[in-house]
Amino acid sequence: MLARYKPYLQLAPLTAVLLLFVAAPLVLVVVVSFFRSDGFDTIPAFTFENYHAILSSGLTASLYLKMIKYAAMTWAASLVIGFFVAYFLVFHVRNRNLAIGLFLVCTVPFWTSNVIRMISWMPVLAEQGVVNSALLKLGLIRVPLRILLFSDFSVVLAYVHLFTIFMIVPIFNSMSRIDRNLFEAALDAGASRLDTLRLVVLPLTKSGIVMGSIFVVTLVMGDFYVVKVMSGGGSASVVSAMYDNVSTLLFPPAAASAVILLLILTVLIAILTRFVDVRQELVQQP
Amino acid sequence: MSDAEPIMRNSLSLPRSATAAASPPRAERAARVAGDVPRRAWTFYALAAFFSAYVLFLYGPMLCMYVLSFQGPQGALSFPMRGWSLHWFQQLWSGRTADLAGAISRSIPLALIVMAITVVFSVAAGLGFRRRVRGSSAIFYAVIVSLTAPGYILGIGIGLMFSLFGWQTSWFSSALGAHLSWTLPFGVLITFAVFGRFNGAYEEAARDLGASPSQTLRMVVLPILAPGIIAIALFGFTLSYDEFARTLQTTGPSNTVPIEIWSMTQNVTSPAIYALGTVTTAVSFLFIGTALAAVTLIQRRRAAAPRTH
Amino acid sequence: MASTISSPEAAAPARGEPNGGVVLAGLTKRFADGLVAVDGIDLRIEPGTYCCLLGPSGCGKTTMLRMIAGHETPSEGAILIDGRNVTGRSPRERGTAMMFQNYALFPHLSVRDNVAFALRVRGIDRKARLREADRVIEQVQLSALAERLPGQLSGGQQQRVALARAIIMRPTVLLLDEPLSALDEFLRLQMRGELRGMQRELGITFIHVTHTQLEAIAVADQVVVMDKGRIAQSAPPREIYAQPRTEYVAAFIGGQNVLHGQVTRFDDACVTLAGANGAHYVLPRDAAPVAQGQTLSFAVRRDRMGVSGEPADPSFAPNTLGGRVRELEYQGIYMKVSVATDDPATPGCVVYVEENTFFRDPVSVGQRVRCHWAFGEAHGLA
Repeated sequence: MLARYKPYLQLAPLTAVLLLFVAAPLVLVVVVSFFRSDGFDTIPAFTFENYHAILSSGLTASLYLKMIKYAAMTWAASLVIGFFVAYFLVFHVRNRNLAIGLFLVCTVPFWTSNVIRMISWMPVLAEQGVVNSALLKLGLIRVPLRILLFSDFSVVLAYVHLFTIFMIVPIFNSMSRIDRNLFEAALDAGASRLDTLRLVVLPLTKSGIVMGSIFVVTLVMGDFYVVKVMSGGGSASVVSAMYDNVSTLLFPPAAASAVILLLILTVLIAILTRFVDVRQELVQQP
Repeated sequence: MSDAEPIMRNSLSLPRSATAAASPPRAERAARVAGDVPRRAWTFYALAAFFSAYVLFLYGPMLCMYVLSFQGPQGALSFPMRGWSLHWFQQLWSGRTADLAGAISRSIPLALIVMAITVVFSVAAGLGFRRRVRGSSAIFYAVIVSLTAPGYILGIGIGLMFSLFGWQTSWFSSALGAHLSWTLPFGVLITFAVFGRFNGAYEEAARDLGASPSQTLRMVVLPILAPGIIAIALFGFTLSYDEFARTLQTTGPSNTVPIEIWSMTQNVTSPAIYALGTVTTAVSFLFIGTALAAVTLIQRRRAAAPRTH
Repeated sequence: MASTISSPEAAAPARGEPNGGVVLAGLTKRFADGLVAVDGIDLRIEPGTYCCLLGPSGCGKTTMLRMIAGHETPSEGAILIDGRNVTGRSPRERGTAMMFQNYALFPHLSVRDNVAFALRVRGIDRKARLREADRVIEQVQLSALAERLPGQLSGGQQQRVALARAIIMRPTVLLLDEPLSALDEFLRLQMRGELRGMQRELGITFIHVTHTQLEAIAVADQVVVMDKGRIAQSAPPREIYAQPRTEYVAAFIGGQNVLHGQVTRFDDACVTLAGANGAHYVLPRDAAPVAQGQTLSFAVRRDRMGVSGEPADPSFAPNTLGGRVRELEYQGIYMKVSVATDDPATPGCVVYVEENTFFRDPVSVGQRVRCHWAFGEAHGLA
């Protein structure tokens, strides 16, 4: 009889953590977003003034536009890189163990803190950095490039560096499940390699692409330190504005900002998940 | 069939094409009979080059950082190298630039605890998810939310929650919880991947042979799942050790290592920060290496996995 | 630390006497979605016999096996093993052992550890249990491979390990869930002989689930043909093959032609049926009640029919059926002749004609022929 309740007992610890440290905090954020702040204390209330302030602020719009721009560029770059890296690993590497080994090589940097990986770009992109020195020595430029660091370029570069792995893994996963016989069937039917890529591989990899896109976009939109550091401290992001608010104890505005961001992300994910069955993709059960 | 290529072979790389001559030239046929591997298409080389470029892109900057951390006292934040020494590591350790020793002495125990809890909770959840019980969908979506919601927002939420109830944010309550909210989804995803291949027949066979439920768990289920469990432990430790955004609001007064680094980027301008990067990476890699070695050992012992489908 | 390792839980009768008699009384299994997998089954299996549960997918045979094993709880009914009611008891307490489809050998344990597992969970110490495991491994002739892992064994070897693992606790009933389906054709034939031999040697009851008719009639003392949760017929193989009780059994067991007709006349000895297009059949009368005009089915074995060219005189002798040869398939010992008959109720007849007989007077595809059989070869179906 106890057996009937066993699954519930087994899921209980996970559920408790999720309730306490994910659900409850989010609920609280929503609640606090309606509170009032007088600069020092947070006063329980029910007001839309925080939302009003944020939504009518030109700063908000510009921040969001900037982050969306970064997200789009990062998404595009990571998609192209991720797709072809995964394609190479799955279909061109013949030895399966070698493929897995190379795959692990790609994931190992993930284990190092993002903050460290981010700052490690400084010596590379700086005016006296590796890239500039190399380009100067080769005679390709005469003056060190300043746009390499502390610019939009460095921000997106850092994002791509940090988050492409989140695109590679789901795509790798999807591609591994493609039946190899399909290639021969397509060849048999007269398809060129490009046709096969377009008509066979791409549709079957759709779910992996969607999962990867969800991860990459939410990570970029939710970032606050990469933008700050890689742009030289000048630029802010949506979440770094939140950070600034929190640092000055302005919790309600920060909370309202958080809710808006969460809503936008939820809509985006809802749209994207119409194209893929998330549970199927992740759980891999028939 | 004369050739028995492994399944991974890409038939797109076959030299055959729709417009090829009716019969391949004699030399090629002879080569094929002798067991030669077909030549690769140009796309292989292009993609291989692309892949190498990506790996270089991934590792390049970190390698620069490692190298720079060994500079002498004249060292600066970028090339050229000024001297060779362990000066900056000493600086770190002395605690003058940052409270590194303190942060590490806090980060590692926390990471170990998070690792242990993640393993137990994830494996239990993986076992529980096997049957579609009521509410398992809701839990699944909560896991997804935990993965995609910006970490900083969750950090704020947890901080708010604690201050609402008047609890002090500290390492082993709020920070622990924040870390778990990040590591558990990964752990659960891994159990999905591993349990998807786990055949329930093993448990039935054990029961048939007279094993009690706890014996079955101990002697059959856990050993078979061991590589997966090690992977979860790996994720649990390193994700906690490297966690940053969620932790900012939840550690209370004393910092974890990533936060320490973060504050250093704000106001320190010496290679000490690179030294810190090197040290902390070494710790992560040490841990990964141990875990991978253990997994490889187990896999090698099991030889080819039996195909039970 | 037992020096003689036996199954203390099941009260085994004196050695030498066959044991493992199984009785099922009103056994029913209803699943949560409303599906009735096993419907009120009454069955008796004699101790020490080889019994095959035969039927297509979904007929309930595996569910029934799992209920006997204790891996599925019956909704209704009782299971008795050697007179003891074991319903509701755990597998350990029943004195049964199961050999799983695809074997379910523990991949992380060696052959020896797999076989010794049942002893390990009972707390038998290491030396004693490994010694006993080795004894059983020798019985299945795998001593050379005792150190190997399941992943390193072939299909036939894995099956032997599964067998050894099951019999180490000396069960009185061994349950086999499609043990041969994972093997290729050649191995299947070989292993089935080994299973039979093992059963004889051990003297216990084997209950073997399969969907392959020829396998069932080859190994079993008793064949239980199942259909949608009910028993269609339970009898020795020869009886099932020669005298299938229903149209379903006849069709499933194969090797039969099923024909239909309406009763025109009957007495105590025989029944006359009228078929289509003037054909008429005379069969021996069985115990079942018969009424004028009733539609009856009957079966004639394929190898008990003959095929000959159509005679000049088109009038119909009894127990003949006209048609056109659709296909000829040479099978070595016999020629398989498929005939498209004139009777729309029986669209196809298949006749196995012995090789020499066929070639003495062959027919060709497209030729009009007459199928014929002796009076005693037809028998009525329920």
